[in-house]
Amino acid sequence: MSEIIEVAGFGVALDRAYDGAGHFWISTVGPARARIGMDALGVETSGTIAQLAFLPVGEHLKRGDAFGSLEAAKFVGPLTSPLSGTVTATNDAVVADPALVERDPYGAGWLIELDLADPGELSNLVAGSQPIRVWFEAEVEDYRMQGVLAE
Amino acid sequence: MAELRIVDFGRVSALRSQTLWHALAYGVSAGGPPTLSFMRPSRPYVGLGYHRHMEEADLAACADAGLPVFRRMVGGGVVYLDEHQQFFQICLPIAAVPRSREAALRRLLEPAVAAFRAVGVPADLDADGEIVVGEAKICGHGAAQIDDAVVVVGNLIERFDHNTAARILALPEDVRGEVIRLMERYVLATPADPAAFRAAAIDAYAEALGLEPVPGALSPYEGERLSELDDRFRSPDWLRGPLRPAPQRSQVKIRAGVYVDWSVERAGRAS
Repeated sequence: MSEIIEVAGFGVALDRAYDGAGHFWISTVGPARARIGMDALGVETSGTIAQLAFLPVGEHLKRGDAFGSLEAAKFVGPLTSPLSGTVTATNDAVVADPALVERDPYGAGWLIELDLADPGELSNLVAGSQPIRVWFEAEVEDYRMQGVLAE
Repeated sequence: MAELRIVDFGRVSALRSQTLWHALAYGVSAGGPPTLSFMRPSRPYVGLGYHRHMEEADLAACADAGLPVFRRMVGGGVVYLDEHQQFFQICLPIAAVPRSREAALRRLLEPAVAAFRAVGVPADLDADGEIVVGEAKICGHGAAQIDDAVVVVGNLIERFDHNTAARILALPEDVRGEVIRLMERYVLATPADPAAFRAAAIDAYAEALGLEPVPGALSPYEGERLSELDDRFRSPDWLRGPLRPAPQRSQVKIRAGVYVDWSVERAGRAS
């Protein structure tokens, strides 16, 4: 089980890396395979998730491509892949019960797994305890400055 | 002051009442100006929210009634749309809207509320993000990020056919009456002057966004995208929608917080 610490009022798991732009976490589950999920700030700012859909297993993605879509409050948006690769698994449990992403974003609420096309892309992610804390605090502050998070 | 492009398409085909504003969204994503658009379908049809299963519509009833079915890229449910609804859409580059979906939606619906009020409809934006008068929803809205643009759509409902709106839903016959009863209570038409509503919406969005309204039209790029969208929206693959398992729940949403759920044999307002 991952240790979740609180950063700026949100739970953050420090045993994985983060996509600085999209609020996804990335956990390696093999030498060239990654599991991807949404972090707590991404969940909070999405609103109540009503629907999720993913590309089928076997689809090839480039970094920045949509690996699926999310709907909250009738707002549909893409789930943008932080890495290039081939979809090897999708989490049927969150498709059936999107609230699982909100209840357990770092565990059972994972989204997809990819076989990585370029493991070197992992170096673009935010990783390590202190960089994650600094980045996450800055992100929360940015959202609060925009007035979209309560103080 | 930067431009708010205003495009009033008037009365258009059912298909074009969807594909035109999707084309504008691709144009805004590609660098076009923020755009407020209007149109009205020339005939009734059925719209599917992006994630909805086709089977959530009663396709046989739609065919019997001669209602085409189109899937849109914004969210929401299976809805009945017709010529008594004035559609509007506001489309901005994604960088111009809050990063929070919920905040973006509220920011882009508030001017619509102001427009309703300007034409004498005492509208509010409630805690669920619905535009309401009292407890009744008066505007069917949805939103999407389409490439690098965000679009929020809504409608002024001048008349609403609750019976047909219920008939096009795939429901057990014994709950259809309850769906109609709740629709009549929670979905309300507000027969305001559509020209006055359009003028008020232009003023409200221009003021809220700090933009200068300028009449405009589709760009050549958007015209190309429109042709592609016309084909896409008529294709069986698009109509089938994204890959999803069959729905497990047996319920239909009337408005935010109000459902008819026949799997547990109850109906009413959930809190």
